[in-house]
Formats: sequence, C-alpha cells, structure tokens
Amino acid sequence: MSTPAPAVPTPSRNTQTAVEQGHRSGMRGRLLGRQPGWFAILWRNRKCRIGLLILAGFVLVALFAPVLAPYDPRSNDFPTSLGPTGDHWLGTTVQGEDVFSQLVVGARTSLIVGLAAGLLSTLVGLVIGLTAGYAGGWVDEILSFLINLGLVVPALPLMVTLAAYSPVRGLWLIIFVISVTGWAYGARIKRSQIITLRTRDYITAARFAGDGTARIIAREIVPNMTSLIVVGFMGAALAAIGGEAGLAFLGLGDPLTVSWGTMLNQASLGGAMITGQWAWLIAPGLTLALLITSFTLINFGIDALSNPHLREDG
Amino acid sequence: MTLLEVDQLSVTYTPRDQPAVRAVRDVSFTISDGEFVGLLGESGCGKSTLGNALLRLLSPPARIIGGRVLFDGADLATLHTRQLRELRWTNLSTVFQSSMNSLNPVIRIREQFADTFAAHRVTDNVDTRAAELMELVSLDRRVLRAFPHELSGGMKQRVALALALALRPKLVLLDEPTTGLDVVVQRSILDRLAELRQELGFAVLFISHDLGTVLQMADRVLVMYAGEIVENRPAAELRSDPRHPYTRGLLGSYADPRQPEVRITSIPGRTPDLSVSHPGCLFAPRCPYAEDACTQTHPALLPDHGGLVRCLVAQADRLPTTPPGPLTGATVDPAFVATGGAEVASISPGIADAAGTSSAGAAGARSPNAGSGSLSAADTDEATGAGETAAILVVHDVHKRYTTRKGLRTNTVTAISGVSLALHRGRVTALVGQSGSGKTTIARLITGIERPTTGEVRFNGGGDGDGDPTRVDRLRGRALRDYRRHVQMVFQDPFAALNPTRTVAYALSRPLVNYGGLRGGAARDRAAELLESVGLFPAGQFLDKLPHQLSGGQRQRVVTARALAPDPAVLIADEPISMLDVSIRAEILELLADLVRTRRLAMLYITHDLLSARLLADEVLVLNRGELVESGPTAEVIGAPRNDYTKLLLDSIPRL
Repeated sequence: MSTPAPAVPTPSRNTQTAVEQGHRSGMRGRLLGRQPGWFAILWRNRKCRIGLLILAGFVLVALFAPVLAPYDPRSNDFPTSLGPTGDHWLGTTVQGEDVFSQLVVGARTSLIVGLAAGLLSTLVGLVIGLTAGYAGGWVDEILSFLINLGLVVPALPLMVTLAAYSPVRGLWLIIFVISVTGWAYGARIKRSQIITLRTRDYITAARFAGDGTARIIAREIVPNMTSLIVVGFMGAALAAIGGEAGLAFLGLGDPLTVSWGTMLNQASLGGAMITGQWAWLIAPGLTLALLITSFTLINFGIDALSNPHLREDG
Repeated sequence: MTLLEVDQLSVTYTPRDQPAVRAVRDVSFTISDGEFVGLLGESGCGKSTLGNALLRLLSPPARIIGGRVLFDGADLATLHTRQLRELRWTNLSTVFQSSMNSLNPVIRIREQFADTFAAHRVTDNVDTRAAELMELVSLDRRVLRAFPHELSGGMKQRVALALALALRPKLVLLDEPTTGLDVVVQRSILDRLAELRQELGFAVLFISHDLGTVLQMADRVLVMYAGEIVENRPAAELRSDPRHPYTRGLLGSYADPRQPEVRITSIPGRTPDLSVSHPGCLFAPRCPYAEDACTQTHPALLPDHGGLVRCLVAQADRLPTTPPGPLTGATVDPAFVATGGAEVASISPGIADAAGTSSAGAAGARSPNAGSGSLSAADTDEATGAGETAAILVVHDVHKRYTTRKGLRTNTVTAISGVSLALHRGRVTALVGQSGSGKTTIARLITGIERPTTGEVRFNGGGDGDGDPTRVDRLRGRALRDYRRHVQMVFQDPFAALNPTRTVAYALSRPLVNYGGLRGGAARDRAAELLESVGLFPAGQFLDKLPHQLSGGQRQRVVTARALAPDPAVLIADEPISMLDVSIRAEILELLADLVRTRRLAMLYITHDLLSARLLADEVLVLNRGELVESGPTAEVIGAPRNDYTKLLLDSIPRL
C-alpha cells in the first residue's frame, strides 16, 4: 500500500481533480497567451515587412502632402514642358504645372480611393456573401445569381460606361463605380467559406442556445473569418487603386482631382513621350506599381496570419 | 533477429511562436523479425510523432535531435535521401492514420499500384500482382477499376493495407489504421491483418490508443506517456500484471461490457506540459502510488518482472499487488480510488451487495433497472420517483426518407423506418448502432432540426405542463426555439462544439440571456454556478478562457454546462465521449450519470460504444439500417443478446 503523492491532497475527488486541472490550464493559458499579435506576425515576414514600410511611406506622403509638395499642384505659372530641373524635380506639364507636386498630392487620391472603395466592396461582398451562404435555399439562389452576374459582367467596360454616362463627376462617383463592379469576387469567396462554417457544431450549438440568425453570423461566424475578410479587403483596395488609375487614364476621372491616373492621362495627351519628358510619364506609373506591389507583399504576411503553417519560415 | 532498433531517439517541436516541446524523449526499443509490437498511448503522448520519426517523415517545426533508428543495419535518421527512398516501402511501409485520404482521388486504384511498382522498378505484371494483393485483403479485383471516392472507408483502408504490402516489406507501420471505422469493419480488417501476418511473416508496429485492440493483436506492447516509453512488456503479461501506474490506469479505463460486472476508472489530472522540464517522473502528479522521490528523480526504463518499466515504485517493488483490470472491481485499491479514480458505475444485476460494499461504490452506483435490489441508498428515492412516470418525449413510428435528385433521376434513401421510442425523466436510453444506422438522424428529428417523413415526435413537458403534448414534427420558427429550451444537446466533438473565438463565459451566457432573460452580471454569476455544477472549480478561472486553453475533458464539461443552462428536461448526448482520451472518459460518464440523477433529466445517449452504454444506460435500443432490431434493459440486451446484429456488434469488441 503506497502513500498518496504529497502533491495530491485528499479532498473529495472531483474538486481536487478540477482544481489541479485549473491550475495547470492557467499555466498553459499564460503560455498560449504569449501568442504574438497580428502585427508581430505580419512584421516578422520579410516580404510583408517591406510592403508595410512602402505603404507606410505612401501614407505619410499622403498625410503630409501639403507640406511636402513644393508648389500648388494646380498652379500653372511655371514654364511649360520642362524636363527635370533643380526647381522642378520631375519637370513641368504642358500647362506649366509642377509634376512632383502633382505626384505627391496624387498619393492622397489613390489611397482614399483604395481605402473607401475597398471598404465598400468588402462590406457589400460580406453582407451578400454571408446572407447567401448562411440562408441557403431560394435566398442563396437569388443572391448567387447576382454574384455570378457580377462576376461575368466585364468590369472594365461597365466601369467605363457607368463613369462616362454618369450625370455627376467626382471622386465619390469613381469610388461608387469601382465598388459596384468589384464586390462579387469577395462575395463568392465569403459565401463558400460560410457554407463550410455554418455546419460546424458550434453554430448548431448557438441555435440551440436560442441565438438568432443575425447574431450567429455576426458573433459566431464573422470572427472566424477575419483573415479572409482582411485578404478580401486588400484585394479589393488593390483593384480599386488600379481601377481609379485606369478610369482616370481614359479621361473618365474627376477632372478636378489630381491623381496618378489623371497625370498619366495628361502626360499621354500632352505628348510627354514626344517631348522627351520621361519623368512626367514614368513617375506616376512607377509610384502606382510600387503601391500595388506593397499591397501584394503585405498579402504574403496576411497569408501567414490565416495559416499558421506559413509562419514557421521566412 | 532484430529488425528495427531505436536507440535514444528524441524529437523536438520548435515552433516560432511557442516554447519548444520535447515530443519524443530518449525512446529506445527493438522490433524483431515478424514481431507484432503495439504502441499504446493517448493523444499528445508522441506516438504518431515517433512513427513519423521512424519513417523520417517529420516536417518542420519537428526535428530529430538525437538518437539512431537502425533498420536492417542502416541508420534511417542519417541515411542519404536517395538510399532512404529505396528503403521506404520496399522494406518499410506504412498505413497512415488518415489513410482514408491518402489515396490520390483523381487516379484509379490500379494506377496507385502501378505507381508504386514503377517507383520501385518492380517488373511484375501490374494487373496480376495488384489482383493478388486485392485478394490478400479480401477485396474484389473489380475494385482496381474504381476511384477512391467510390469506395467505403473500410475498403479504402484495405486498399491502403494492400498498397503497404505490395512490395513485401519486412516491417509495416500502422498508425491508428482503424480509427474512425465502424467496430464491425474494424474487426474484419484487423482479423485479416492477423491472418496476413501469419502468412507473410512481416513485422508490425501498431500505433493506437485503443487498449482492447492493441492487447488483442500485439505480441508485445510499448506504453507511451508524455513522449517516453513507460512500459515495454509482452501483451499477455501487460494485461495480467501491468507494472507502470499509468498502464494500470489505462487498463482500469477499459472493460468488457459483456462481463456481469463492469467498472471503469479514470486517471485524474492531465498530461504534463512538455515545453518545461520536469525533474521527477512525468506521471507523478497523476499517480496514486507516487512517493516523495518520484517528484525529484526521473526514473529510467529498467528491467522489471520480465519487461521494462519506468517507475521508481515498481522498480523498488513497492507497488501494491492488487491485480487491477476490469474483472476485479470489488477489490479496487483504495489508494487509487481515493486520489481520484473516478468510479463511474458498478453494475451487478445478480450480486446485490457488490455496489454497496465496495469502498467508492456508493458514489457512482446505478442500477440497470429500477426494481432490482442492488440499489445503493442514494438511488432509491430517485428510482421510485422515476419509476413509471409518463414518457416525457415519445417518438412514434417515425420514418425518414431523403430524396436526392440527379438530373432526371430521383434517388430515395430510407434513413429511418418505423422507429418508436420513449424517454423518461431520470432515465438514460442508449441508442446503439454502427455509423450510418440512423442514430444521428433520430437525434435530429427529436431536436427538430429535421422533420420526419411520416410519424410523430411528441414532447410532454412544455411550459405549464398539463396541456396537450407538443408536436415536435410540426414546430417551426419561434415555437421551435421555445421547444429547444427543453431539449438540449451535448455534442460529439468538444473541439468543434465551442467557437474558438468566444470565451467560456460568452458561450454559457447565450442560453441564459435568450431563455432565462438574465443580463450581464447575473448571467455571469449563473454561468459560474453552471461551471461548478459540471465540476469545473473554481469557476472564475474558467469563465474568461478560450476553448483552446482547455483540455478535451474540460471542454466537454463546458459543452455540457451550456446544454444545462436553459434547465432542459431532455438531454441528447451524441457520442459525447468518443473524441476524448480513454483515461478521462469515465469522468465524463460519471458527470452525465450524476446530472441525470440530480436533475431528473431524460437522456438519449447515442453511441457505438457498448461499454459506455452498459455503464450509463438504463435501457438500450439497437439500431440497424434505420430499424430498431432489439431493445430492453441494458443488462439484458448486452448480457443476453437475441438479435444477430446485436451479437455481431458485441463480437466485434476485443475480448481481454
């Protein structure tokens, strides 16, 4: 007959077991509590870190554009069609505006469009995708039809048409047009994700606990797909920035806003190629490419956020 | 002759975000030619990691940090990849845990064999050889033309076994090869495996958590705990004289339900955190025999009673001599019980005093039928009260058919035909059957998730009581929600039943808010009470935890607490212990039995496991292909089955 372990006193067995388990899980909890936050995971990924730095640079430029820009981007008091000089780093336009100032202020437009249109189309995609996926049945049939319609309608011609025939002009129109044409892809992905999530036991359990549909979607399902939503937002913002540049390049942008797209448009109209003003042409294209690249790089990190296996290397 | 020699093998997981975990620690053992060795352990003990390390299939963050794996003289741990590839499958093959998914879904079975032969330059005719192999595992050769998705789980597993044997290996590593399969299918595959080994003479390392199967199949058993081999002994001796306290605990958690008296125990506590170093024996905190020295000195694996054991007490020969095991419930060692061997049940239909006189019997004793004389004092008033009250829930002649449409063809599958059953307050009704027998469909009909095609489901306990019974098969919307206040579920997989992003307090507060109208602090207080009622003390520690911070058993307690929150009359428990480690199953069973008794719940206990049905249920219903084939008091159905299907189910349980 052996004596019980000193570490194990002898109160009623249930209590003691549970207390002991409690202490240990407390210890375990602290260990798991040291899980790095989302930002640490993003930052540790080298590609993502570069992307974040580039993006941060653009955000700073956009925020401090009035300070950084040497001149008013719309003032046309300068000699026209200059090449790069000490006063005008990237030269001037045919109208005599400073290209560098336009470039700096244009960062604002791109980021605002990316943020706003990205948010808007993510939101629309989220609501439609979640409703379709969770409700199923005829609701799903109808919404899926809408989603498929959104996917097959060629986005660029639709954007062009909407922008060209709209009675109003302005940045918000562009944002609206981009959101209307860009939500479907995200909706489709979110729909399929929720279809796999809605049959989980914890969703059934929430129904047994008396929760309503809206609450189940908002409180039980959405928190489990945050990384998907973030990836979707990044994708949508990326497309929006490109879309804005494209529309503006085609001359369908807001003529009163300075953006990289309108700069490209005017450089091409102003014959920058012919006059040898390469800086006027290349600078906005390069910044656009750089901004889009930064988003792509950040997406590598976000992948690691949603898939812990990817965190081990890199 | 020694075929495989593992020497001081250690594997560490070094994830970036968490402390390194020593998953396998200085493991040494040998396997001789033709030997069948079982590796027994619970989830997280490192047995699959060890298996993968032997095949050198570990992927980062896991890494072999020391030791040798000598196979036929070559060290697998350091062998060049090219040589290793030649060795793998030719001499050393495997059937994976998830073999169901290890067949390539886009190529036919024949091509999978052809691939294997081509990769190893076998010149035999693919068709003849593959057909031979199919025959070997008792499959029709037409299976060769099938795609994996056209086969059942059992057939896929046979194909995987045939593939593993394709090149006549000397050693086959089987990692939980039958987990997830039906008991009946499992039995037939294991029987075939045993025959094949006789014929072909290959050696087997059989990794499993299923004690009954391992003891029945293996010549020798390695018991693994927290990354270490704690006992290594011939199977027969391990059964009759287990020397490590953990092995004793495991044996105590298993019993043969056909015995006249059945008792299982659980091992208290949980496995140690392997990311910190422990000076003493890793099992000491859970060990009923632990002495002072055990907390300071790490025991070595030393010869003892014809085997090897890693226990200071056993090595000093101070272990109590009690022969443990399922057959000896009446003489359970008091030390083991007192330190937390949670005894679930001691059912002894013919032996009236067995439950009453055993030291801990009074706590958990239950009777299979409410009239017999073997009741302990605690049971008597409850039993007479529950005696012959009206059924609280009645399922009457229910049929359920599913119609699927594929193009113009419609296909009707009958899931349930003509099932009737009744649930009574304070009683447990077990619904037993293979997967696909319709058990879960019945649960879905009772809870109103689905409606029967024909037949009625009536509930007699709604609201004010004496009114007309509720027709569950006609409920919808709000009425269905109100009904679910009375009928709650305990889910099978505690890992899936709790939202990973929500705290325990949130999960518990939802039914309290929705059904009880409690708010904020009141809901939290009530949630804490619920946690204590399912044995989670002190509740404050658990309220703000996320599910991943809890052990499997703790999660299942939380799931149970949530089901109890609306104070239901009926509890549907769908395989509530099948995903839990064997050593803690008894604990959860005891909790459920307790709740049924104290809260006078009517419980439908759905299971394929006859042992737990035997322990928990008052009445057993056996379901086969949607039909009830046998029903009656538990002891009668399991003790003296009349139906062939019931007999088949019982015969599939390994005999110890």
